[in-house]
Amino acid sequence: MNPYILATLLFGLGLGTTITFASSHWLLAWMGLEINTLAILPLMARHHHPRAVEATTKYFLTQATAAATILFASTTNAWLTGQWDILQMAHPIPTNMVLLSLALKIGLAPMHSWLPEVLQGLDLTTGLILSTWQKLAPFALLLQIQPNTSILIFLGLTSTLVGGWGGLNQTQLRKILAYSSIAHLGWMLLILQFAPSLTLLALLMYIIMTSSLFLIFKLNQATNINTLATSWAKSPMLASIAPLLLLSLGGLPPLSGFMPKWLILQELTKQDLPLAATFAALTALLSLYFYLRLSYTMALTLSPNSPTGTTPWRLPHLQTTMPMTIFTALSLFMLPLTPATIVLLTF
Amino acid sequence: MLKLLIPTLMLIPTTWATPKKWLWPTTLAHSLIIALISLSWLKNMSETGWSYLNSYMATDSLSTPLLVLTCWLLPLMILASQNHTAHEPINRQRTYITLLISLQFFLILTFTATEILMFYIMFEATLIPTLIIITRWGNQTERLNAGTYFLFYTLAGSLPLLIALLLLQNSAGTLSLLTLQYATHPQLLTYADKLWWAGCLLAFMVKMPLYGVHLWLPKAHVEAPIAGSMVLAAVLLKLGGYGMMRMMPMLEPLTKELSYPFIILALWGVIMTGSICLRQADLKALIAYSSVSHMGLVVGGILVQTPWGFTGALILMIAHGLTSSALFCLANTNYERTHNRTMILARGLQMILPLMTTWWFIASLANLAFPPLPNLMGELIIITSLFNWSWWTLALTGAGTLITAAYSLHMFLTTQRSTVPTHIIALDPTHSREHLLMALHLLPLILLTLKPELIWGWTA
Repeated sequence: MNPYILATLLFGLGLGTTITFASSHWLLAWMGLEINTLAILPLMARHHHPRAVEATTKYFLTQATAAATILFASTTNAWLTGQWDILQMAHPIPTNMVLLSLALKIGLAPMHSWLPEVLQGLDLTTGLILSTWQKLAPFALLLQIQPNTSILIFLGLTSTLVGGWGGLNQTQLRKILAYSSIAHLGWMLLILQFAPSLTLLALLMYIIMTSSLFLIFKLNQATNINTLATSWAKSPMLASIAPLLLLSLGGLPPLSGFMPKWLILQELTKQDLPLAATFAALTALLSLYFYLRLSYTMALTLSPNSPTGTTPWRLPHLQTTMPMTIFTALSLFMLPLTPATIVLLTF
Repeated sequence: MLKLLIPTLMLIPTTWATPKKWLWPTTLAHSLIIALISLSWLKNMSETGWSYLNSYMATDSLSTPLLVLTCWLLPLMILASQNHTAHEPINRQRTYITLLISLQFFLILTFTATEILMFYIMFEATLIPTLIIITRWGNQTERLNAGTYFLFYTLAGSLPLLIALLLLQNSAGTLSLLTLQYATHPQLLTYADKLWWAGCLLAFMVKMPLYGVHLWLPKAHVEAPIAGSMVLAAVLLKLGGYGMMRMMPMLEPLTKELSYPFIILALWGVIMTGSICLRQADLKALIAYSSVSHMGLVVGGILVQTPWGFTGALILMIAHGLTSSALFCLANTNYERTHNRTMILARGLQMILPLMTTWWFIASLANLAFPPLPNLMGELIIITSLFNWSWWTLALTGAGTLITAAYSLHMFLTTQRSTVPTHIIALDPTHSREHLLMALHLLPLILLTLKPELIWGWTA
């Protein structure tokens, strides 16, 4: 791709999200989301592979549907209440309509089925953008509306369940990452109405952990479990750290992935929802199962390799490794920093 | 506290900086020094029960014996692992030792934590090194299955525990062991409170393990390398008993009736797992099931909630920790020579390794609770307190003792006596390392006969 065009697209990607962040008017927020979507579509279809084009089309259709619904909901809101302010969503019908369309936009169960399909068609870099940066703008809107709590809990619990369950049967890493994204987003939605700062915290931790995984998979050029099995020959150190990273994503203490889960469960019990908390915690076990399977193939067993195939670690890497290093360190050792992180994200 | 935590942490850089030749001797010496320093914890001078207190950690007479056992076990694990890791690349050996050290670090934090949530986090943190030890260094492919069982049984029990603890924090306002007994207790009346009770204890019962949720343990033991089996049998199972004893005061009025089914299940488990041992062909599985059987007695002792029950449970936990670890080491010396765990294929070893037979004899006697070893002390006290609770338990505990004696003798006679199979012709002689290992297991056990008040717990 021409670097000028790439720069323009990346600029559009940033601009769209920033406009949504900055707007208090529904029309402007919608515009930001649309700019964002339009900027990432060419990036997705960059490789003219039928699979990539299919993924782009699917992404376009879902995002367009969601954006149209948002436009419709905000118009309805303006019609019912006479103003376009995001913070002033007084009427329940447009509020819940916006909630559902935003859920479709980020891929929450039961509106999740596009996400694994789309992510599987992308290369790992675009996939990384899709599962991190693209979540920010919808979350900025989600944090500003006041939807119905029971719908939120329903969305949250189904997402953790579906995210865990769907990933069990996958052998493709990008699909597994998509299901892991669904499960994590479910946790964020569970707490959205009770402690929005914890939603932000969970989103931040998810972005950190999933970025390090995407970057590691990119370094190993691995897109399915079989390729992952020979990653010990490509970078032994990363292969030995990756299980910890995966367990952190699964939320096992004392790794940083436990931090959002712990705080969310604490808040849920405070709100007299121990049953929802127990259910969410137990569905996290489903996700943990496929993370554990990935760590088995990646580091805890040594797959056979040809004698020439055992030394790729001697070759220098072309990828910049600094971001990966930082993200990995953060996603392993941040649990002792919990108080500081909470203070940082409270508003 | 820090005088042990910091040396334990610094053992990790030591492991990576030591020259290859001195790796095992240096880590062994260093960890042995840590273990010796840890003995000073046994001198409990405080009148409030808590000593070596700082803002996050403290020891009392319940946690001290377990702490010393933890520190004592690291040098023993290092001694035991030398042979089977010898053919591996040096970095992998260093990683292995690092995992063992990190396990000790987490275990010290678990036993000394004064905040129950800190205890919980560290309790879970021990899962990761153990999982890696089992699934990376185990011998058969079944180790992956064993690792999955280990992780998911434990987590399925302990996630409800987390919720239960958070609920307790909301109602009592604190989770500190130092102040929790003075906090106002919630009225535990509703059906939900009974579920809360179960949530508080289930994790520990899975970890013990109670009969019925014990299936992960034999798998993990059979597949783990020797150090994994040792630490699992000696310390990790005891986390369950320790946690139960800590939680008991908080669950006060409910335990009286709700514990009935669990006591019965525990005692029934003693009989059942003992019977499984009687017909077991796999040496490591036999020792693992024997652990389940002994831990059943410990669960019973804790759940009747008398001072004697608690004392007996603690004594039996410490004694069983040393005994079962010793038995696993003995099984491993056989395994390293014959490369199988089947008892019938390695019979009559007295003819070949006569001095080892002495160790087998002492360890088997300790396992069947021979007087005057602390094993007997623990079992007797637990049986007495159970008998005091209900006469009928004597039928189960008595039969359990008999079966324990039977399978311990069965194990000893099968491996040591009878004729040597013809295929065993060229076994290595025993190493001084192995004798040292056994001596370091069994001498503390014998010496504890002389001063059992060290492991008496709160009554001392």
